[in-house]
Amino acid sequence: MSTSTIVGSPAPEATARTAIRVRDLDKTYSSHREGAVNALTAINFEAREGEFICVVGPSGCGKSTLLKIIAGIVSATAGELTINGAAPTDAATRIGLVFQAPVLLPWRTVLENTLLPADVYGLDRKASEKRALDLLKMAGLDGFAHSYPSELSGGMQQRCSITRALLPDPALLLMDEPFGALDAMTRDTMNLELQRIWLESHKTVFLITHSIPEAVFLADRVLVMSPRPGRILDEVKINLSRPRDLDVTLTPEFAAAVKRIRRHLGLGERERPYAD
Amino acid sequence: MPTDAIATPAADPVPAAHAVRPHRVRNFLDRHIAPVSFVILLILLEIFIRYARIPEYILPAPSKIIWALYAGFATPLHSYNGFYVHLAATGISAGSSFVGGALLGIAMGALVVRSAFAMRLFYPYIISLQSVPKVALAPLFTVWFGLGFESKVILGILLTFFPVLVNTAAGLAGVDRDRLELMASMKATPWQTFRLVQLPSALPFVFAGLELAAISAILGAVVGEFVGGEAGMGVLILNRNASLDIPGSMAALVVLAIIGIAVQKLIAYIRRRALFWSPGSKGAEGL
Repeated sequence: MSTSTIVGSPAPEATARTAIRVRDLDKTYSSHREGAVNALTAINFEAREGEFICVVGPSGCGKSTLLKIIAGIVSATAGELTINGAAPTDAATRIGLVFQAPVLLPWRTVLENTLLPADVYGLDRKASEKRALDLLKMAGLDGFAHSYPSELSGGMQQRCSITRALLPDPALLLMDEPFGALDAMTRDTMNLELQRIWLESHKTVFLITHSIPEAVFLADRVLVMSPRPGRILDEVKINLSRPRDLDVTLTPEFAAAVKRIRRHLGLGERERPYAD
Repeated sequence: MPTDAIATPAADPVPAAHAVRPHRVRNFLDRHIAPVSFVILLILLEIFIRYARIPEYILPAPSKIIWALYAGFATPLHSYNGFYVHLAATGISAGSSFVGGALLGIAMGALVVRSAFAMRLFYPYIISLQSVPKVALAPLFTVWFGLGFESKVILGILLTFFPVLVNTAAGLAGVDRDRLELMASMKATPWQTFRLVQLPSALPFVFAGLELAAISAILGAVVGEFVGGEAGMGVLILNRNASLDIPGSMAALVVLAIIGIAVQKLIAYIRRRALFWSPGSKGAEGL
């Protein structure tokens, strides 16, 4: 199987190490209008290697800020954060980042876009190209390697941005509402695809979403965040068996998890009967 | 053509043969109206100037200008009466100022966007320099740098670097934040971010600046030659004007115009090839 080249490090449940460790993380930034804004407060959680973590929370709760802190793009005001035991800014820590928009470079082909991290990290060209082609095959993009992003549908572009994120065999895959811009049907397909890619690659995934059913469908564990200043209100463990298909959304366990998360977000059936 | 398809139904070939001809004439006129009208204008001018007996040293007939054009090219390569020596001089000055101004403009644009300190330091100078009519500095440059190549190139660079700088800075400052965060998440060096993301993203803007710069480069060379020089199209025009060779002077203008158009077309062609991915790269075609 070609999966063996994609798998970075097989992560059997028993020996799983801690991939992300966050201790008492705080983020305060100064804004022109509001002065000092407390975006995140007392964030504590851990993610096992190979675990799929989803984060849900109301708009503006600081979940994107949390993701950017983990990505090493934004620095925390206080607290402790390690990725595989190292600081997020450590040069050796590789992170795959997927945005809501595909953020592909329009002057590069699908293959060249996937190879962007190889250019940045200075990886061996030949080995990277082989790995990129394997990843494109896994994402169902073989045959489009030499197409330009403008020739691809939105869902295919987003899959290409996932192959790019996976290319350098990152310690962590961070996804910020990756399917938020897609229509509902493409979104279902992409959720199934992402689950398959995750099962094949054994990556630790940290995914932010607005959609509670999406979070429950994908996650091993869902972190529920409060409105600003963002705190983690609850950690909901999802014990549905893998691989999950779309029928899982009709099971009582799925409904119970969705219900529990909704209640935290003030969306219980009593308060807002027609809410999502 | 859909009109042809309607005019020539297969079942009725005889009247169709008649119908085709006026359509062809109309289609030809439709497509080539600009050159056709230009030829007609030249003929009308020729008739008017000959009929009204306008002296050659005021407004030469088109045929005289065409003859002067031919004469200018039908000389030996080294003759100062022909175009070649002067074209080479102007071409070298304009080309050097274009390359120099473009490189300086891109470098300064990158510096100004990268460092707020550089922005505060340089921008007031750049803006005040831009409000000086720079061709007015040409006499000063001949005092400082002589009548040769240098004074023209420095004037040319002064004229060309500003549009490139402003456009490059605008392009670099407008790079999509997500693209920069993507590079930051990979811990890319500033140079990698510039080379792989910022510069290519800004290229549509850079090319807009380069198109303006190309015209300014020719302007700078010719103005520099007007003020003083040994060779160049500007020198040729001055000399021919001084000897009341107006057809010759206008022929030199025609050559300059053709070069200007050719340079613009060349840059537009390069832009289309380099920016095949940019949605706007086809929009300004032919303008």
